Amino acid sequence: MNRALKRISIAVLVMFLALLINVNYLQGFQTASLATRPDNIRGLEGQYQHERGDIFTADGVKVAGTTPSNDVQNYLRVYYNPQVYAPVTGYVTPYSSTGVESAENGVLSGNDASLSFRNFIDLITNKPRKGATVGLTINSKDQMAAYEGLKSRLAGTSNTGGVVAINPKTGAILALASWPSYDTNLLAVHDGTTLNTNDQQLLAESPSPLVNYAADATYPPGSTFKIVTTSTWFTQSSANTPNTSLASPQPLRLPNGNFLNNDNGEQCGDGSGQTPAITAFAQSCNTPFAGLGIKLGGQALKGMADSFGYNQNLAIPGVTSAASNFTAESDGSFTAFDAIGQHDTTASAMEEAMMAAAIANGGTLMKPYLVQQVTASDLSVVSQASSTVLSQPITPAVASFENQMMVAVVKSGTAADPVNAAGAQGLDIAGKTGTAQNGSNGSDKSDAVFTAFAPANNPTIAVGVIVQGGGYGAAAAAPIAIAVIQAALG
Amino acid sequence: MPTPAVSDPDDVPGPRRNPELRLLFGAFGVVAFAYVNVAGSLKGQHASAILGYMIAFMVVTLGAHLAIRHWAPYADPLLLPVATLLNGLGIVFIYRLSLVGKFGNPGNPGTKSGLSVPVPLSSTLNQIIYTLIGIACFVAVLKFIAEPRVLQRYTYILGLTGLILIALPAFLPSSISGVAGTGAKIQISIGGFSLQPGEFGRLALAAFFAGYLVAKRDVLALAGKRVLGIDLPRGRDLGPIVAIWALSMLLLVFEADVGMSAVFMGLFVSMLYIATSRTSWLLLGFSMFILGALIAWQLIPHVGQRFEIWLHAFNSSVVNAQVGSSYQLVQGLYGLGNGGLLGKGLGGGEPYWTPLVQSDLIFTGFGEEIGLAGLMAMLVLYALIVQRGLRTALMVKDPFSKLLAGGLSFMFAMQVFVIVGGVTRLIPLTGITTPFLSLGGSSLIANWAVIGLLARLSDTARRPAPKPIQDEGLTQVVSLK
Repeated sequence: MNRALKRISIAVLVMFLALLINVNYLQGFQTASLATRPDNIRGLEGQYQHERGDIFTADGVKVAGTTPSNDVQNYLRVYYNPQVYAPVTGYVTPYSSTGVESAENGVLSGNDASLSFRNFIDLITNKPRKGATVGLTINSKDQMAAYEGLKSRLAGTSNTGGVVAINPKTGAILALASWPSYDTNLLAVHDGTTLNTNDQQLLAESPSPLVNYAADATYPPGSTFKIVTTSTWFTQSSANTPNTSLASPQPLRLPNGNFLNNDNGEQCGDGSGQTPAITAFAQSCNTPFAGLGIKLGGQALKGMADSFGYNQNLAIPGVTSAASNFTAESDGSFTAFDAIGQHDTTASAMEEAMMAAAIANGGTLMKPYLVQQVTASDLSVVSQASSTVLSQPITPAVASFENQMMVAVVKSGTAADPVNAAGAQGLDIAGKTGTAQNGSNGSDKSDAVFTAFAPANNPTIAVGVIVQGGGYGAAAAAPIAIAVIQAALG
Repeated sequence: MPTPAVSDPDDVPGPRRNPELRLLFGAFGVVAFAYVNVAGSLKGQHASAILGYMIAFMVVTLGAHLAIRHWAPYADPLLLPVATLLNGLGIVFIYRLSLVGKFGNPGNPGTKSGLSVPVPLSSTLNQIIYTLIGIACFVAVLKFIAEPRVLQRYTYILGLTGLILIALPAFLPSSISGVAGTGAKIQISIGGFSLQPGEFGRLALAAFFAGYLVAKRDVLALAGKRVLGIDLPRGRDLGPIVAIWALSMLLLVFEADVGMSAVFMGLFVSMLYIATSRTSWLLLGFSMFILGALIAWQLIPHVGQRFEIWLHAFNSSVVNAQVGSSYQLVQGLYGLGNGGLLGKGLGGGEPYWTPLVQSDLIFTGFGEEIGLAGLMAMLVLYALIVQRGLRTALMVKDPFSKLLAGGLSFMFAMQVFVIVGGVTRLIPLTGITTPFLSLGGSSLIANWAVIGLLARLSDTARRPAPKPIQDEGLTQVVSLK
């Protein structure tokens, strides 16, 4: 009998092991997939039992708040102007959250450790608990101008676009607009079935409105990348100035025997084959800078691009960001295209704004940030943003060269027309257009890019605009940037 | 000349009553901490009541300890503390569920509200009263069954009693025997007080099997024809036991108590195997069980639903089905997922979304609040009870006691496996109680009776052989192991 008993014991051991393994599998590995199932209401409760904190813009416009709710929860999240602010606020559901709702969830929900003492006081004094208020760096006028600009260019198309405006001195993000956008209120509903239906509808739309095209999507930067190319060149030798002449053949013969042309095969400058850098930059000739790229080499360009923010995860709280790309090529034929922002070079609208911001701030690139301060429900400040330097890609001297060249673009170059058309001559804008011929849109129209800052002598705003399939940067992207600058300075 | 000192404690173990008392206080500590934890999370709600609950619980279980000291001084020292800890945690969780949510009582909104039975505030006190009755039963077992072998005398009476207890609800109208919200007819409900006689019936049948198999095990194992390589016993030897088993299975199926019939089947097969040591019986029993389950899947609608729920739990048509919905199972799994590794803390989770979380699904409620770490500890506690029981079966010398201890232990393991495996979707979920945890008296009382029997059996197993009446020089008492 003992032999049978021992075998029974082994069977029991196997049974308990099976239970242990299964419980480990469920609670150790399946938690995320269980939590994200649409009919799972666990966790919803705590989220809406207390009033969630509001989100305000820097100029005091409420973009997210709560209203009392009569269903199983006490409060409903409400977003104001949701399409305009969707890439900023993001949304929060029991299953997922994005944007500031995600990054600041702790303080907004009131669960953050920094609020526990205040919650305790509220408990004692019998005050209803409320999450902390988040103050954004966003300026509502800039944000609105950016969104309306994208809408006017992209509504009715299947293309995407993004606008980012930054205060170059601090890194504070003044505008962050993305197209297409969506109504974040659709994802604030409490009923799981409705939420699931809304979510499925948003997921089915193409291009997806849930992507933040201002920071989480990259496009070819086109000629705006010439800022990086010329910065590398100026940095290499103090003999190089905006007035130094560059070889400007039409076409440029590449090491592999192919040819690289200026836009429409036009001559650069006076057609002599030698053009001052500032003129070539203002006219956005390709061959002088492609030639520079070959001379400087992929590694040198990559070093400069990296310090401007390429090839790195920016990790801006509240902003999901894709890394802009610059790959160092050993073959000069590819580097030539890389140097004028084509081939596999890509940048986000955020990166475009950061390039302008670095030049505007005398060569020092501030780290972009979106949340200015967090205020508890008793109005005491919980936390306050402070500016930090991200990198110093160029010296103040090189920055002033770039500044001069970008002013020339607006005064007499490719961006003169849109600035004049907008009557913005007095705003002292400096900028660079970009027209990426091998656009990512799949159509035959180029991606329009514009990067700018203003006022040139004492910049307070830097803007990056990308309009996929917009055509010429000067025609499609520059007007949006000018409108944002006008909203900020005008 | 004194008897020589015994060096190996396993050979002739001491009474070990003081370690048991220390372990018991350890269990009290955990239970008290859990109470404070619940009261702290669900602040201000009846916090003063917990002192009374705790004292009542301690007095009752210390009584059980004194009873062991008096009537079964050599009983295994782990059984009582482990059962006490599980029982105590069960009461705390019932208390926690009666307070419902951190944010008030949301009830159970949505379309499935009919499945949810709210846990009234009086449940905690009821559960403590059931504990008291259970421990009285435990003490009675120790006092009145001084020697387990005496049960062997009542083999057929026990068999008949077990059968009647199991059959009773089937012959009563559904208004008395039906369980709300299920098709099961397993209880006798009169005036708000309900009893599940099957919980006791299976104990009686376990004793019957033990008695019968001890008497017949030799003929079962040896006499008979060999068919297809399997030794079949003579019909007159096997007949009564198969008849009783088949009858009880039919009744269980008729009463729609699928989980219990699985436990029963496990008990029957394991005891037959222990008695005869013939692997062929084990294989035969196991394949009969699989075959029976497959036939039941196809033929019996409520069994088919169980399989459907198990296989397609997350399929929305199954979740939303009017009959045979997987809503309960899925909510339990969500609870487990919500708990994660360390749980939400007692009072911090939302177990009340899960229908019947106070009884069948209580394990998922624990999983949500004490997490994977807590559940593993609980499973180890269950495994400890089974291990002590099987150890007793190995140590005890008399075959009847051996069979009874082995059968009871395996039945306990089987019950844990069926319900825990069911709620964690390892096997199809069939509604049976979770030993010592679920709200309700019958299961708790019956399980205390099991612990009482195991304590009695282990006392028999561990009690040293009587000292020689006089010193016989070099003659020593030797172990009969």
